[in-house]
Amino acid sequence: MRRYGPAVLLALTGAAVLRISLFGDLYLRYVQPGLRPYLIVSGAVLVLLAVVTTATTARAAREAAGEDRGFERDLGPAPDDRPADDHAPDHAHTHGPAGPRFAWLLTLPALALLLFPPPALGSYSAEREAAQRAAQGVGTFPALPSGDPVELTLAEFGSRAVHDSGRSLTGRTVRLTGFVTRDDDGAWYVNRLQVSCCAADATTGKAEIRGFGAPPADTWVTVTGTWHPEGALGSDAAWPPVLDATDVRRVEQPANPYEKR
Amino acid sequence: MDDQRVVTGRTVADVVRLAVRALVHVVLGGTALLTIATVVSVLGPTLALDLYTPAVAAWWTVFTAVVVQGVPFLLLGTVVSAAIGAFVPERVFRRLLPRNQALAVPVAGAAGVVLPGCECASVPVAGSLMRRGVAPAAALAFLLSAPAINPVVLVATSIAFPGQPAMVGARLVASLAAAVVMGWLWARFGKDEWLRLPRTRTAPEASSRGWAGFVAGLRHDFLHAGGFLVVGAGAAAAFNIAVPRSVLDVFTDSAWLSVLLLAVLAVVLCVCSEADAFVAASLSGFSPTARLAFMVVGPMVDLKLIALQTGTFGRAFAVRFASVTWVVAVASSVLVGWWLL
Repeated sequence: MRRYGPAVLLALTGAAVLRISLFGDLYLRYVQPGLRPYLIVSGAVLVLLAVVTTATTARAAREAAGEDRGFERDLGPAPDDRPADDHAPDHAHTHGPAGPRFAWLLTLPALALLLFPPPALGSYSAEREAAQRAAQGVGTFPALPSGDPVELTLAEFGSRAVHDSGRSLTGRTVRLTGFVTRDDDGAWYVNRLQVSCCAADATTGKAEIRGFGAPPADTWVTVTGTWHPEGALGSDAAWPPVLDATDVRRVEQPANPYEKR
Repeated sequence: MDDQRVVTGRTVADVVRLAVRALVHVVLGGTALLTIATVVSVLGPTLALDLYTPAVAAWWTVFTAVVVQGVPFLLLGTVVSAAIGAFVPERVFRRLLPRNQALAVPVAGAAGVVLPGCECASVPVAGSLMRRGVAPAAALAFLLSAPAINPVVLVATSIAFPGQPAMVGARLVASLAAAVVMGWLWARFGKDEWLRLPRTRTAPEASSRGWAGFVAGLRHDFLHAGGFLVVGAGAAAAFNIAVPRSVLDVFTDSAWLSVLLLAVLAVVLCVCSEADAFVAASLSGFSPTARLAFMVVGPMVDLKLIALQTGTFGRAFAVRFASVTWVVAVASSVLVGWWLL
């Protein structure tokens, strides 16, 4: 059975990748949306490779069995002298026909994705990371899109609130969607993590919500309200931005829990 | 007649032996599975609730994310490396690269532009180039430059630093310089016995060429590197969870310390080279040179890469190479940062 190890591993890995990318939106918990086609192609290639590997392994096993029967008694058991066939790579590093030993570690993420997909990052990560402010200095921004209320990402709301000398948020009703974190002193925030490649590079965007009681931590909410200016533009006092809420509504976690940077 | 009977007898004996073995496997495996399932279902829920703290959940997610994100690039790298091994004859590289090693190194470094991937892809490709007879010094220059100077990464850098084309230029120059210097250092001081390559592949066997060789090489390289990617992802996730970014604020005041700090951070965070520019841009309290060091060191030395290099080239190589590369990359970013930024 051991010689089918590589095929099983490839099939497991491929199935795990396809499960999160082709058969659902789970991949959005781990990587950014643009990676989906590459994930689907990778999963398909891995499954195909598993099929080809199974076929060649089975054929090589049959041939090897035939060889053994014919030559065993004449040549004596000398497996090392047998011509290398590709199911038994005779490399300088040590591994048997079951393939590289380290490769079995791949079963860990593969089975995790197939059986218990890890959750999206939430309030734990948002509270741990010092919230990142957009890197640019104070300047003007392009006009906000029309719409009342206007849907904004937390990243955009934050950078306009702190850095926009044109104060484009003034007088506009905005709508933000994110998950809840709470301070000990009763203040609460709506947060969204920004991911540019995978969840390992997540940074936090957040806004303080006033005028409504705090929902439990980690619930997803859509908040409608108006910007409450605080502190001088670009100063530390202007962060985090504040929203005077007129409406707070619980929502399901969106398919993509992160914002694209 | 006798022969035939012997053969038939052997076949029957084979079948019986196989059936018995299969039965034993099923019984043993079934018992083991039943035991595990019982223990897990009884103890599991309480134990899982105790162990599954938010920190563990976040580790789990980041670990999975690094692996998922690495798989397509690793597969791209192993497809290229297996294709080189199976279809490209050695004389092609002999003709493309200057015979003089000192000249071959910068040519190979600049050739890194053509591999549009992150660092996971370049390790198997470099291994395959060496097996195809490319001088290790040139292959290593390619290994270091490819993830840092390809068009995808440079475009990402220009998006992350809008209005600062100097940052893109500095990254290109500093990464290429560090890669070429490392290639020259290897040509002058490197010892081949530090490298542990699968030597048999250089021998022109029938099975290592053509489609059969392509499939065998692809399978072997992907599984081997994949296992080490998992090790690296686990370490990266652990540091990602253990090092709060607020610690960084302590060090932003000193120019020298901040360069060194971000160079260390690049090693432990293992951000993919296509995304590290965005992380660097968000580290707004640091000097441009320190952020440049983050982007130059990251694609060349990080935990995930050290794990991959250990798997492909051996531990003796990975330790020496990674530490010297770190020093050269930091020096290169400081010099280029002082010149261009």
